[in-house]
Amino acid sequence: MSNISKNRAVGMALLVSLAFAAPAKAGEYGILMKTLSNPFWGAMGAGVEAGAQGASVDYYIQAVESDQAAESQLNVCNTMLERKPVAMITAAINSTNLLPCLKSAQASGIKVVDLDGNLDPAILDAEGLEITFSIGSNNVLAGAQGAEYMVSQLGADASGPVLVIEGLSGNITGEKRARGFADKLAELAPGLEIVASLPGDWDRGKAANITNDIMTRNPDLVGIFAANDGMALGAVESVFAAGKGGDVIIIGVDGNSDAVKSINAGRLTASVAQLPYLVGKQALENVKTAVEGGSVESVVIVPTLVLTKDVIDAGTEPLLEFVK
Amino acid sequence: MATPQIQSVPSLWARLQEKSIEQLHIRLESIVVLVGLAAIMAILSPFFLSVSNFMNILLATSTIGVLAIAATFVLSSGGLDLSIGSVLGLSGVVGAAFAVNLGMPTPIAVLATIGAGALAGLVNGWVITRGFVPAFIVTLGMLGIARGLALVISDGRVIYGLPDWMLFLGQGRPFGIPMPVIILIIVAIIMHIVLAYTRYGRHTLAIGDNENAARTAGINVEFHRLTLYTLSGGLAGLAGLLFATRINSGDPTAGITYELTAITAAIIGGTNLFGGRGSILGTMIGAMIMGVLQNGLNLLAVQSYYQQMAIGCVLVLAVFIDQFQQRQETKV
Amino acid sequence: MSLLDLSGIEKSFGSVSVLHGVDLTVGAGEVIGLVGDNGAGKSTLMKIVTGMYQADRGSITLEGDNILELTPGERRARGIEMIYQDLALAKQQDVASNIFLGREPTRRVLGMSLVDRRKMKLDAQKMIDRLGAKLPAITRPVGSFSGGQQQSVAIARALTFNPKIVIMDEPTAALAVREVQSVLDLIRQLKSQGIGVILISHRLNDVLSVTDRIIVLRQGRAAANLLTKETTMPDIVSAIVGGGDVMVAAAHEAQG
Repeated sequence: MSNISKNRAVGMALLVSLAFAAPAKAGEYGILMKTLSNPFWGAMGAGVEAGAQGASVDYYIQAVESDQAAESQLNVCNTMLERKPVAMITAAINSTNLLPCLKSAQASGIKVVDLDGNLDPAILDAEGLEITFSIGSNNVLAGAQGAEYMVSQLGADASGPVLVIEGLSGNITGEKRARGFADKLAELAPGLEIVASLPGDWDRGKAANITNDIMTRNPDLVGIFAANDGMALGAVESVFAAGKGGDVIIIGVDGNSDAVKSINAGRLTASVAQLPYLVGKQALENVKTAVEGGSVESVVIVPTLVLTKDVIDAGTEPLLEFVK
Repeated sequence: MATPQIQSVPSLWARLQEKSIEQLHIRLESIVVLVGLAAIMAILSPFFLSVSNFMNILLATSTIGVLAIAATFVLSSGGLDLSIGSVLGLSGVVGAAFAVNLGMPTPIAVLATIGAGALAGLVNGWVITRGFVPAFIVTLGMLGIARGLALVISDGRVIYGLPDWMLFLGQGRPFGIPMPVIILIIVAIIMHIVLAYTRYGRHTLAIGDNENAARTAGINVEFHRLTLYTLSGGLAGLAGLLFATRINSGDPTAGITYELTAITAAIIGGTNLFGGRGSILGTMIGAMIMGVLQNGLNLLAVQSYYQQMAIGCVLVLAVFIDQFQQRQETKV
Repeated sequence: MSLLDLSGIEKSFGSVSVLHGVDLTVGAGEVIGLVGDNGAGKSTLMKIVTGMYQADRGSITLEGDNILELTPGERRARGIEMIYQDLALAKQQDVASNIFLGREPTRRVLGMSLVDRRKMKLDAQKMIDRLGAKLPAITRPVGSFSGGQQQSVAIARALTFNPKIVIMDEPTAALAVREVQSVLDLIRQLKSQGIGVILISHRLNDVLSVTDRIIVLRQGRAAANLLTKETTMPDIVSAIVGGGDVMVAAAHEAQG
């Protein structure tokens, strides 16, 4: 019987050593992401790594299994502190789940960086947390850029029904994008009426169904804004299946590789690219400055870029380099 | 055939094993694995062996640990409760709504959190024992109902900003020990005694072992089941309280798939999936094995994907060894 | 006064009527054989005695007290024990847990009422020794025992709490010859202690050798109430099958 237990222990040892990693060094940066399985976070992770290598600092990246694993992200965060990093760069799953960990980080003098603006300044104040800086794209601005592009295509005096597909109900990111779009659209082209604003739950299939339903009710639909590219691509499928390809302007947010392919194929009209790679890269560069005693803006906004077929074909836009 | 009689003198291991099962209600292998795993982690990572990291492991195990206690009771009675993860989320939201939205004092909010879980469990138990609907179906239904209700109550948003006294339950550190760890240890000790040493616990195992035998022995099986599902819901409510107070908010998406993690911990700890055998101490060791594995791999900066693989391997290995030994021991 | 008295017991399951007014009495120290073909209603009748089923009509008294309204647990506490054909053992629990299932002795520790394992183990060992049963270890799960050993546990459970009536459902069906003899000896021993025994069995030789009276159930009625010492195998068989191929059946039975 004891042999079996030994075998079990040896098996575990093998499993662990397969995934063996170098021991931590002094002065390393801890980077805590949501999940790397989503292309957006994957690109941001790649940007962080590129930035760290460029700045030649030691770092270690951790992520959790899904972007809903709030508690397990907190557990990972606590564990990361054991390695005594000089800075913690965190993309929190929601505005509150990492607070206990970030507080103890602050107490031990570790610099805390909010990656992608997931923390709420009001809550941070209430908790007495001072983060070094927050970096990310402005989601309200991204939505507004989508509205600007739609109006530039349809004209300021255009009229007709528009559909907005929101993110997961209650999710702050999707809400900001949809709000930014709606406010800007009302300001620039009052004739364009948002006939429905429904949660697509970040789900391509759900977005396709919503689009079908609304096109049945409003066959003269002129525009669709989806809070991410996946849902925009779902809408594209429904529009083309209904034989209305090219008649409806469809705009997504993110600028991911699937969206770029679809834009090149002349299906998706545009995507407001968030440039997560650039966010990650700049975050690392700024942390280095802060760690070395330099001053950094407390809120860093990384610009977004409206990707269209023209922009991609021209290839002159400098930010294109960071579209991954 | 002249085979030597080696059975007559049981080995030291066999004698220790018997003592362990008799006195502690756990099998020795689980302790060996836990200690071995910890030793490996200590060798591989210089950060593993420290008091603060030990507290980290316990803290990370606290929510799942409480849920796993619920799972142990229900599984060892031959039942199944798939709703505990969702009920955890629902309870946390109810507690936060009481404390934040309704401005109730902490004791009432705490009672509401645990009460919401117990109520969900009572409904489960009622439908299972009075409606004769299989537990799998009822608790699968409750998994959806509780999650949906949590989203409805919270309007899909995190309810933030619990009162200080409530936060103390999740973030306080009397004597440097995190409150969730203290609560887990107290609850585990009490529930270990209940399962191993009270008539209620013995009857729970008997029902899971042979329902008919329990019935003929005069045990009111239906009522006992009803109390078990209520207990399970109540413990899920307590786990919801720990979760919410740890992250200072009622999160409607809290605890998704936690029921499976809790069942995994119970089974690694030696609980029989089909009832009749289970111990809380064993389940705690199972949960600690998972906690040490995750913590160690985190310290080594191993991606979370490998952690899921590792835990999957441990689960299958644990049951394999258990089955192997059952066959060895019952071979006459 | 008889110990156990059933009269006019009727029971149906939905539209299927199983028992149509059965009378049965058992005196102290009396051994009753309950025989009948499959489906004659033997098991249903006994489950009505233990309280697992509720009778539709009729009365049951134990020592003159009406026990119709009592739960199975309460009837057990009054001294009605049954040894089931499938033994009804919790196979993963040890011997003591099975013997004391539902009636565990407790002691108070720090205000909590805990099961007294020491007393359970001691009493269980005493009972097993009294039955002369050989078990590998009292602390092992009963599922690891042989069929005969498991039966010893089931019998020990029935006898530990000083029963007044012991019902045995096919106790010898799965046993080796030597084990059958020890069960029959046990029944005689119970009789000598003034305990009433109801023996359900298909093995008519066993029934004839150990009982005082034999009740034959046929199609839900007590078709015959025979004094064993005045009865022969063909009488019983004839009562069971209800005339017809009596001789053939009796010859077959005599061989078996």
